[in-house]
Amino acid sequence: MLEIKNLKKTYGGRTVVNIPELRINAGETIGLVGNNGAGKTTLFRMLLDLIRPDQGEILSMNKNVAHTDEWKDYTASFLDEGFLIDYLTPEEYFVFVGSLHGMNQAHVKEYLTRYVEFFNAEILNSGKYIRDFSKGNQNKIGIAAALMQNPQLLILDEPFANLDPTTQIRLKTLLKNLRITHSVTTFISSHDLNHVTDVCDRIILLEKGIVIKDIRTTENTLKELETYFAE
Amino acid sequence: MLKTFLNHQWIGFWRSRGQGTNIAVQIVMGLLILYLVLCAAAVGFFMDKMISAAFPQKDVFEVFNGLILYYFALEFLSRLQLQELPTLAVVPYLHLNIPKQKLVNFLNIRAMFSVFNFIPLFVFFPFCIIRISSHYGAFAAVMYLVSIMSLAIFNNYLALYVKRLSMASIRFVVAGFLLLVTLGLLEYFDIFSIAAISNLVFSRIAVFPAIGFLFTVFAVAVFFVNARFLRSNLYIEELSAGEEKKSSTDYPFLDRFGEVGALAALEIKLILRNKRSKSTASKGLIFLFYGLLLYKQSAIDKNQFGMMLFAALFMTGNLVLLYGQFMFGWQSAEFDGILSNKISIRNFIKAKLLLFNLSSTVLTIIVSLYGFLSWKILMVQFAAYFYSLGIAPILVIYMATRNYKAIDLSKGSSFNFQGVGATSMLMSLPIFLIPYLFYVPFNYLANPYWGFIALGIAGLAGFFTQDFWVGFLVKEFNKRKYKIAEGFRER
Repeated sequence: MLEIKNLKKTYGGRTVVNIPELRINAGETIGLVGNNGAGKTTLFRMLLDLIRPDQGEILSMNKNVAHTDEWKDYTASFLDEGFLIDYLTPEEYFVFVGSLHGMNQAHVKEYLTRYVEFFNAEILNSGKYIRDFSKGNQNKIGIAAALMQNPQLLILDEPFANLDPTTQIRLKTLLKNLRITHSVTTFISSHDLNHVTDVCDRIILLEKGIVIKDIRTTENTLKELETYFAE
Repeated sequence: MLKTFLNHQWIGFWRSRGQGTNIAVQIVMGLLILYLVLCAAAVGFFMDKMISAAFPQKDVFEVFNGLILYYFALEFLSRLQLQELPTLAVVPYLHLNIPKQKLVNFLNIRAMFSVFNFIPLFVFFPFCIIRISSHYGAFAAVMYLVSIMSLAIFNNYLALYVKRLSMASIRFVVAGFLLLVTLGLLEYFDIFSIAAISNLVFSRIAVFPAIGFLFTVFAVAVFFVNARFLRSNLYIEELSAGEEKKSSTDYPFLDRFGEVGALAALEIKLILRNKRSKSTASKGLIFLFYGLLLYKQSAIDKNQFGMMLFAALFMTGNLVLLYGQFMFGWQSAEFDGILSNKISIRNFIKAKLLLFNLSSTVLTIIVSLYGFLSWKILMVQFAAYFYSLGIAPILVIYMATRNYKAIDLSKGSSFNFQGVGATSMLMSLPIFLIPYLFYVPFNYLANPYWGFIALGIAGLAGFFTQDFWVGFLVKEFNKRKYKIAEGFRER
């Protein structure tokens, strides 16, 4: 699905991302962990062609993401509030994003009914613009809009941050189901080791831009990660 | 304590993003303020000459007295639109151990620091000091000054109070403006006259100066009403303007353009729902009155179209110029989302052209009313319209691909230099100069009509080859998109 070759990015002499090789297979759910400044967001931005790598390339379905826009057809993402259009109402935003994928208003409405529980009755018909929502609710809007695009590749940066406990659990179930029902390839980052080890079948640990660990999740993984970060 | 607050405000002003970083912008801002002050002072010093030139048969004092209330009526409306509520400044202090009364005092004093409170000093004071004092005596002159100052303060707090009651919607201002125009017309036809009332009041003050204190009483009263309101409503929620229920909107008209239309609709919402973009676009409407200033009968008769072309360019293309100036910075907040979503850059750029073309068309239809003055105006305006249709938007978007400054949409646009960079400052130059490249040579070689025909043909040629230019702009955009996105992330 994704292939990273020789990827390097430096800011002011400091290497932020340095990944000689990394392959991600279709249907995997990958958790990216690492402390602040490990290069998680930079990596995600390069995957989405928002930052130009200094070196190397990223192939999505064998096509370089910087050269074509084809990856946009099957990739959905939510990294931060910068992905939301904050002067729209949530409904308008969903309709807009849906229209980019050929969904009409009725489709979008139909889709949103599936997320009534996830939204906890706070998002729809609230009479507010997105900018007036709390961070957690903005997060929910972004995640729901990404899921709505019915992607084959889903990229979420810290999706659990700012969410209330109930929604965190719901999101976990949602992500697990996606893998089973739609075999979506999911790439998420998180600081919550419990969540990532629970949801993901593969964990990649970054430190200062370098892949330190790349492991299949087993029952020992959480312990292993905890010991690593405790040091 | 008050001093600390004011000091924080002062520091905050200088350290605000966008300011303090760019010296050139600060110099321009300084010059602009100086220019405004000089204009006001010039009006003040030459007030008597201007009055006798404009109304030769009328008494200078009568006209001056009549002007005062008009000025403050207009000022009140502009204050409602432009003056910022200084309330948000107080939020970081609300939870600290500071008595509420002190915060209220701070807000009230802070409100005095507004350009609006200083302009009347320059406009009215010279005349009072020079003419009134020599004619009616020093005491009368002093009372004029007191009354005018009081009126300014009265307006200051009344405008803030009305704004706090959140009645100051655009509708309110438009209604007020229409009322004022009506009064002006009534005045013109000698039916009813604010000027007469104003004259009556101030000629009384000239004779019985002490009456002037009445204005001071009004000003103090409004001050206390405002202060009391603030004191009992000092809560974060209630400080900002009223929250109305927001609803989703559609622009079915744009649906026929597919994705391009959807993107254009998005941008219309951007303009209407954010403070800075809204005030920028509505400022454009004020420029529709340029024609009144620059379309002179004498120039029309003598076929001197230079200045008229300038006005026509400004009026038909004012969204292109004023809004386009900061493109794509308007969308800086969601730029990452736009890039990573399934939006084709081709359509993204086409949507902007569509928006510009629609706006130019609507504006041209409006300003065609000037055609009643002379058919020549229509000719100038249509040449300018074709230019605004075919050439100006392409130039603007080309320059937008070289603008890496994000725009903070939540602040008003007057005197706001956040996000102003070299590109945005210089870009209006070529846009105004290029039409003259077409017009001037033909004007000299043949006659002005050929100049306008050349300009119009060039504009139409640009419009009909738009697809080609879009391709070019997409290439330019892709070359620099990482840099633009990076700049926009630095907010």
